Amino acid sequence: MAQERYLPTRGGSPLPGRPESANLADILERVLDKGIVIAGDIQINLLEVELLTIKLRLLIASVDRAREMGINWWESDASLQSIEPGDDEDGREQLERENRELRERLERLERRLDAGDEDRSEEPSAGAGHA
Amino acid sequence: MPDELARWAARRAPALLARAEEDAVAVLRDALVGAALDERRSASAQTAARTIGAGAPTASPRERDLEPKPKPPSGDVLWTYCVVAAREPLPDVLAGVDPSHPVERVAAGELAALVSRVPLSEFGEEPLRRNLNELDWLERVARRHEQVLEQTLGHGTIVPLRLCTIFADEDGVRRMLEEQRPALEAALELLTGRQEWGVKLLVERKALETVARDHTPEADARSDEIETSSAGGAYMLRRRLEREIREAADRLAVSVADDVHARLQDWASDAVLNPPQNRELSGHEGEMVLNGAYLVETPKVERLGELVSELQDRYRSLGATLELTGPWPPYNFVPRGVDVEGAPLA
Repeated sequence: MAQERYLPTRGGSPLPGRPESANLADILERVLDKGIVIAGDIQINLLEVELLTIKLRLLIASVDRAREMGINWWESDASLQSIEPGDDEDGREQLERENRELRERLERLERRLDAGDEDRSEEPSAGAGHA
Repeated sequence: MPDELARWAARRAPALLARAEEDAVAVLRDALVGAALDERRSASAQTAARTIGAGAPTASPRERDLEPKPKPPSGDVLWTYCVVAAREPLPDVLAGVDPSHPVERVAAGELAALVSRVPLSEFGEEPLRRNLNELDWLERVARRHEQVLEQTLGHGTIVPLRLCTIFADEDGVRRMLEEQRPALEAALELLTGRQEWGVKLLVERKALETVARDHTPEADARSDEIETSSAGGAYMLRRRLEREIREAADRLAVSVADDVHARLQDWASDAVLNPPQNRELSGHEGEMVLNGAYLVETPKVERLGELVSELQDRYRSLGATLELTGPWPPYNFVPRGVDVEGAPLA
């Protein structure tokens, strides 16, 4: 029974573009990043810039979560490093900007809290001396 | 008393804020990815006349004509799918990436490439660049490319070519076959009698945390502490305990992924680890903690199914699901590049 459930789920020959065929992520991770790379007459460099948008959409949500968990085994994979330097991708820029803004806001809040903390932390020692 | 509580809260505020920021960034990221995917859904509803590149492809200076004399991008070029041994039989009629053209074979010596005609108006450099960033277009083309490979896979060994390997004409394809012969023949030899299978490990966060809590010795002591603390203190302690359990669950997930991968790797001819997939594209449930590809000798494939079932049983208490897919065209096990990117062959 387990056999049936877990053995090939991709049999048959689904019509092109049918959503119930193999999952899109499975196909894209292979056809975009894998397969033998031969320079054809039409020069499209999939590895670097061309698919930045798609690759970000493909990867960012899951990869960041995995990194948080301490999973990073794919990071030796050169083809995935190409998304790191960033580019003119709107989503990434926006994410970075928002992230930066959040950090700045956090720092401001922390400074305010630290200041408050110091003020207050003097009080108990003064009180202790009193007693 | 309220003062004391306020001081106590102030001391812990940075940690809390860090946590809040983490949550906020996660929410933000989800929203961005969601927005990106929404955008592509609405984009697909519109016509192809998008303004990204502004203007007709013919007007672009980036267009590189394939003929010596400049001309508008009309006519066809050859999309290549894979390389096979020329003696391999082929499935009868396969529809190509452009369904109006069938898949054909271009042979040079012992090797042959499967190709089909595609219109330059859609697959020329400039339109291609634009189309590749439209997820719907990309999906359609990727699925057709994949389908040709899968159907060919049943007839013999193939060396998959990456998406968008396009030649001006048959001579270009033959020249490629000749120039890359050593690498292609080596790849064919390596892949003969072997299959690529994918294994993913998905875990359920809830089950993982339940097990992690049972293995966190401090958890009970913390719970007692929470019982006896003031409301504010109990809240902080509870958050800390939650974080500790979450971290323990993460470590547990990593160790399970390591074990599953090690078992499969020992047993396969070769293995490759890929990043976990985006849920919106894959539709998976739970957390993907392993996404591996394994090259398996054909006679051992049956045992692969059993091994996967065994591993799943072993980690059932973690809500673990192992997903086995295949056989895939062996994308993950061909040399990454036989020619330097950007170096034209012609």
